[in-house]
Amino acid sequence: MFFKSYSAKKDGAIRSFDLHSFRVKLLIICIVVICAIIAFVCLFPTVWVFLASFKDIREFRREVTIFPSKFDFSVFVKTWNDLKFIKYYINSLIMVVGCVICSVIFNGLIAYVLGILKPKGHQIVTGLVMWSLLIPSTTSIVALFVNVNRLGLSRSFIPIWLSYGANAFIVVLYKQYFERMPADLFEAAKLDGCNVLQVFLKILVPLSTPIISVATIFTITAAWSDFLFPFLILNGTGKETVMIAIFSFRTSNATDVEVLRAILFSIIPPTILFLIFQKQITDGAAAGALKE
Amino acid sequence: MVKANTLNRNNKTKFKRQDLVGWLVMLPSLILFAFFVWEPLLESIRLSLYSAKGIRLQEFVGLENYIRLFRHPDFLAAFRNTFLYIFYSLIIGFMVPIVMAVLISETVHLKSFFRVGVYFPNMVPGMATIMMWSFFFRPGNTGVLNILLSKVGISPQVWLNNPKWTIPLIIITMTWKSAGSTSLIYMAGISRISSELYEAATIDGAGIWQRVRHIIVPSIFSLAKTLLILQIISVFQILYEPLVMTNGGPNNASISLMMLTYNYAFRDFNYPMGAALSVVICAILIVLSGIYTKLTKDKE
Repeated sequence: MFFKSYSAKKDGAIRSFDLHSFRVKLLIICIVVICAIIAFVCLFPTVWVFLASFKDIREFRREVTIFPSKFDFSVFVKTWNDLKFIKYYINSLIMVVGCVICSVIFNGLIAYVLGILKPKGHQIVTGLVMWSLLIPSTTSIVALFVNVNRLGLSRSFIPIWLSYGANAFIVVLYKQYFERMPADLFEAAKLDGCNVLQVFLKILVPLSTPIISVATIFTITAAWSDFLFPFLILNGTGKETVMIAIFSFRTSNATDVEVLRAILFSIIPPTILFLIFQKQITDGAAAGALKE
Repeated sequence: MVKANTLNRNNKTKFKRQDLVGWLVMLPSLILFAFFVWEPLLESIRLSLYSAKGIRLQEFVGLENYIRLFRHPDFLAAFRNTFLYIFYSLIIGFMVPIVMAVLISETVHLKSFFRVGVYFPNMVPGMATIMMWSFFFRPGNTGVLNILLSKVGISPQVWLNNPKWTIPLIIITMTWKSAGSTSLIYMAGISRISSELYEAATIDGAGIWQRVRHIIVPSIFSLAKTLLILQIISVFQILYEPLVMTNGGPNNASISLMMLTYNYAFRDFNYPMGAALSVVICAILIVLSGIYTKLTKDKE
């Protein structure tokens, strides 16, 4: 039974005709066991955080067990209220929504121009965008921070939202998708009297929902996890996001178990997103890199 | 038909107008790219040539910031550490995703669970990952790894406080987070190999190991070259891990170039020094990117 399904195996070096040998069967079982161990190592730390968060601080310090003595969900509610986590969740939500909107509009428009309209000189912009793919923004964070301050834009969400409108990776993702669309489509729309922006809104966006949703999922995870730039701009303004909050709990008087629960709160939203969209996310992660 | 004719006739004059419309449509995005990506690179250079009080530039000092930077012992430590980070990430982080991809490609049962499982750490926010692993590496009896070690009778270790272990342990944390997503890329590469190749090799008498060695390894080789450079570029900017886990210590043993930039700019508020170091990092990254572009061109 176990080995029967190997006859339909499409990947890898072990093929169905190898199965008659006992050594190969043993090898197959070993591989499954090793993969299970790998998956365990990948999942264990997060599971541990979940289990350890149920302990109270005494139990956490003294008992060297993995499992807590009791599963009482009220401790989470208490920590949620004590640390005023709802505020950080709302701030993160505001930030993520703004980042997604900026990301779709601005990256979409530039990809539309570079991939379809192709005005004279568009190659220069394409080159610059491809090049910025390789020079990551963290290296210019000092100058960017100084610039934002000069414009008086610090202490607000605006620069963070807008920074997601200039993401070379997403531009390339959109551009490759747009370029595979049939050109007649846009010609036909033009003949029907659509102007350039109408073509974008009425033809391109509805036809690109698969790629827009993939890019949106990646933007949500990136914005939710973003730390350095939001920290520099928002810390101490009352607009701290979840990531800034857990960073500052580290040095505050919150106890270890409270910090652990806070870490858990920060992991829950991306985990839910991943459980819903696991196929799109894992497929998108592999496809994005291969096309380059 | 009539419309199409007028369109053709006006082609020459309309051409320019259409160009203008195209540029206008992407103008807002161009401004954002200029402000967030391109201009800061130039501004870093300008900033690094001045002295400043806060964000206000004072006077032109030429290369003085760079000279001070290179003479400072922290720079040497950070520079050496950055290469240690790269060295360990090549030893630990480069092979792990390849091995994972080869193994998971050989499974049939639970395959999608393995794929999802190894990708999951990538969804955990970076800050949460680092703080989580800080609990694992905590010295003393409450550290998770020490708890696990005590069960097999090994005495507690100091983990990150041992200068020899700091960088390898940080690299393990990074590998834990990113290996899964990299291995998905390799898996996609492996699944594109045609079945006929394996069949032909088997007829020629190749065993399983020889098929891995002579079919799978060569077919993911160019992918590995590309991912290697991308990995080096990303390790070059390592910041959160030393900042949160060790604060650069013990005794500068884990301080990285990016963390030194952070210290100059956002701890000491010495923006010109921070900018000077950014320029140095950027210059090195441009060289690495040049190598990357050359490698990907060779592939085609």
